[in-house]
Amino acid sequence: MLLGYIKVALRNLLKHRFYAAINVVGLAIGLTVFLLSLLLARYETNHDYMFENRDQIYFVGVEFTKSADIGVQSIDAVQSAFGPLLRAQEPELEALARSINREYLVTVEVDNYYQSIKFVDTDFTKIFHLDYIAGDASVIHNPTSVILSRSAAEKYFGHTDVLGAQLELDHEHSMTVGAVFEDIGKDSHFNSALIDDSQLEFIAPFSALKQIADYSMEGEWNNISFGNRTYALIPKQCDQQWLQQRVDSLYEEHLNPERKDFIQKFRARPLIEANTILFDAIGMPIIESVRLLGLMVLLIACVNYTNLATAQSFSRTREVGLRKSFGASRNQLLVQFLVESLTTAVLALLIAVAAIELIIPWYNQALDKAVQIYYLETLPLLMLVALMVGLIAGAYPAYQIAGVKPVDSLKNNNALVSGGGYFRSTMIGLQFAMSTFMLAIVMVMLFQGEKMQKSSYIYPRDEVLVLDRLDIEGTRARHESLKEQLLKVKGVKEVSYSSQVPFDQSNSTFPITPLRGDKSAEMSINQVRVDTDFLSAYNIPLLAGRGYSLNYANDKRTDEPGQVNVIINETAAARLGLGSAQQAIGKTFYNIQSSDSDQDEFKQYDYSVIGVVEDQNFLGLHNTIKPMIFLFSDDWRSHASIRLDTANLNETLSSIEKTWNDVIPDYPLQRRFLDEVFEETYQIIRAMSMTLSGFAAIALSLALIGLFGLAAFMAERRTKEIGIRKVLGAKASQVAYLLIWQFSIPVVWSLLVSIPAAYFASSIYLGFFADKIDTLIPVLLVAGVIGIATAWMIVSLHAFKVARLPPIRSLRYE
Amino acid sequence: MIKLQELSKIYRTDDIETVALDAVNIEIETGEFVAIMGPSGCGKSSLLNVIGMLDVANSGQYIFNGNDISTQSENQLSELRKRNIGFVFQSFNLIDELSVRENIELALLYHNIPAAERKQRVAAVMDKIGIAHRAGHRPSQLSGGQQQRVAVARAVVGEQSIILADEPTGNLDSRQGQEVMEMLRALNDEGKTIIMVTHSASHADYAKRTINLFDGRVVVENLRAVS
Repeated sequence: MLLGYIKVALRNLLKHRFYAAINVVGLAIGLTVFLLSLLLARYETNHDYMFENRDQIYFVGVEFTKSADIGVQSIDAVQSAFGPLLRAQEPELEALARSINREYLVTVEVDNYYQSIKFVDTDFTKIFHLDYIAGDASVIHNPTSVILSRSAAEKYFGHTDVLGAQLELDHEHSMTVGAVFEDIGKDSHFNSALIDDSQLEFIAPFSALKQIADYSMEGEWNNISFGNRTYALIPKQCDQQWLQQRVDSLYEEHLNPERKDFIQKFRARPLIEANTILFDAIGMPIIESVRLLGLMVLLIACVNYTNLATAQSFSRTREVGLRKSFGASRNQLLVQFLVESLTTAVLALLIAVAAIELIIPWYNQALDKAVQIYYLETLPLLMLVALMVGLIAGAYPAYQIAGVKPVDSLKNNNALVSGGGYFRSTMIGLQFAMSTFMLAIVMVMLFQGEKMQKSSYIYPRDEVLVLDRLDIEGTRARHESLKEQLLKVKGVKEVSYSSQVPFDQSNSTFPITPLRGDKSAEMSINQVRVDTDFLSAYNIPLLAGRGYSLNYANDKRTDEPGQVNVIINETAAARLGLGSAQQAIGKTFYNIQSSDSDQDEFKQYDYSVIGVVEDQNFLGLHNTIKPMIFLFSDDWRSHASIRLDTANLNETLSSIEKTWNDVIPDYPLQRRFLDEVFEETYQIIRAMSMTLSGFAAIALSLALIGLFGLAAFMAERRTKEIGIRKVLGAKASQVAYLLIWQFSIPVVWSLLVSIPAAYFASSIYLGFFADKIDTLIPVLLVAGVIGIATAWMIVSLHAFKVARLPPIRSLRYE
Repeated sequence: MIKLQELSKIYRTDDIETVALDAVNIEIETGEFVAIMGPSGCGKSSLLNVIGMLDVANSGQYIFNGNDISTQSENQLSELRKRNIGFVFQSFNLIDELSVRENIELALLYHNIPAAERKQRVAAVMDKIGIAHRAGHRPSQLSGGQQQRVAVARAVVGEQSIILADEPTGNLDSRQGQEVMEMLRALNDEGKTIIMVTHSASHADYAKRTINLFDGRVVVENLRAVS
């Protein structure tokens, strides 16, 4: 009997090819998107299974307070002073290891490479069991040994048989290859595509960093950087809560009040969360959104099926009547129609799986991922999804049609056509509500992105060439002569050294106060170390006072405490209570000395304001405008910004390169345009809006396909009516209007739901940005108009065709 | 008022060509009551459809009130049709979703007539055909004879001067059929031109003239003295 049902189902699909194609293709698209979203979400949230004790590995990060205002809510790292304290307090802990990423110039014979090196505590190899192909983990105890991944060894030496081979860091420090391990798979948090700093290919012990950089980390409470994780291996019988309790008590005990203003909590997280922590950090539920959007697209596809199948089922009342007269029970008919929708769902699923097989390799290649489908594992899920989709989509039409009375169904075909009208309208409305909702959000995202792009042009994005890696100690002595030589290059207008360039997502702050001797931090100020040419290189306008000059001894801050002349921005002046830009000139403020640090910003300085610059969003993107201080100092020069004349750009660039190679031949030049600095941080937002646009486009096209099918079907069902109306004198346009109007009502009311919902959702999204678009409502309305317009267009496609047919054809239809 | 000259209508499917009307010449004057008879498939309905401008001929000329139909645009045709011609079909062709009143009103909907006047005229015509007590009912709640009376009412409510009836009694029993024929005769007496396709010789007797078709050709035309 079941076989018979399937046979009838397939025949029916063949007979109504047009509608069947819409149904199968629609469901297949919905399933593809849904399964893909599940697959991708699962991929991103199930990293690091190659480490056998993954479930015992945790890392500790910090959560910032709201008032910290640094553009992220949390981070995957904690200060390096924390690790040893945890280790000392909790003897049960099986292992604890900190990791710090530092970039060095690695030299092998004559080849130079900039390489991010992961410096780790010795326990690191106890936590992460690497697959050694040469040497073993014990070399981690040797301060001059490094451990390389297979690909790193091949990069530097061309082969992996390299135990004992020498390499040099920054031309100064000789290291020996102590071990080589097999490359870690792409689906490890170490290779996360989201945070590029954390690659596990070049490992060195902490003791090496201590020797090389004279870097003491035991009492280091000042620095927190993405990727510098502190890992803990906890005992099998313990859980996250156990670790969290210990972490909490360390927070209470060891963090001083100023830092508690800034850091709300230390948070122990399982390793499995490491890969997606960036989403948490920026406070956007990306993974959840992807899952939700996938589900919405599938729902839209199901609604398509339900709608079209319900409409279509009325043309089969005669078949139902016959089957009932020959003794079929209502339940048997229900089963028959459900088998039909299940058959459709299974067909769609097959297509979807084939589509995914095609998409995945392409996706992996484009984004450097290793997503795979494990059929054995997913088969039950696939079957369940097909079953659910078949049942959900087919339930209503099956229920409707099986309920038909045999007498009615045999006698009068047409009386039933009007049935289910409200249901259909509701479903169309629901679909359009979902797709215009997505469309509206996408448009808000695009406009907001456009706004961010636009406001980033306050800085001459394409006229500034940024040279990086100038913080390398070995180049420092040559900075002045480099600048001198660069200024001689034709096309170079300005050269300026600084600790940070616009759009660098880095917050270096220190606490300040307008009162001398004040101990409680009133506010923090973001510092950028600059030289005398920074403001002019970046077109930062002075509102009052003067810029830095070599002619004033106090302009430059040195290691000696005392009075320093400084330039701040308007916000800083206002928050310090120094008044307007003009009023602030000549006034003084102070830093707050901290007890637990000997860093120079905690020496006592009197900051005397000599200039106030316009408020500009130096960090750009979603950040708020912060109090800023531009300090003239020789320290922390990590970038040189070269302002260029963009005519003859290639010539200028090669001259710059030549100049660099003349002055600093031992370190390769690393350069990028300010444009690229912006794009690097902007790409997450771009990727997000692209993804969402994709979902929205698919959702909207599915809804439109469904509407097209339904419109075609309803026009067919109303053929007789159309004929009568035409015989009675209706013009083609009047008939078309009639058909279009039928679908306009649900589409219009769907906007009443979707636009407020989109308003709500995009307000949440815009809350993420300091500099928001002020045209939210017009943008939403435009999205609504686009929704209606495309619906009309789709329905018109068919309506005008039907309306133009000679009336007698419509009447002869029966 | 209606003049067909050498008019032909051919239906083509992929491999069959059917000649429905073969060089037909017919003239019908205002106020006539014409019955078109002939065996199934002889082209009766095709002739009616062409006269009613529901379908176009392949060759020959159709002059309606001095207008050459072949030169009219689609919108002009629909204008001519709605001003002049009312239709009555064998299968009534009422819209099931609309009430009796709305079905009749539909014929006025495309005439740019104000709602109040539409209402009046629909009420008047319903009274005239004795269906007023069923005004709010759906077509499916009426008997066949009643449905056909509604269809006739719909055909004349726009004050069209011609009624084209395609086997108006075909789906009715003899008593109901007779009622409908009486209505048509009464309308003819008021001056309406009536052209009717029928199988029934007795109903053809209501007409003043009978045109017999066979294989798409006019074979006999006989004028009858009105009894």
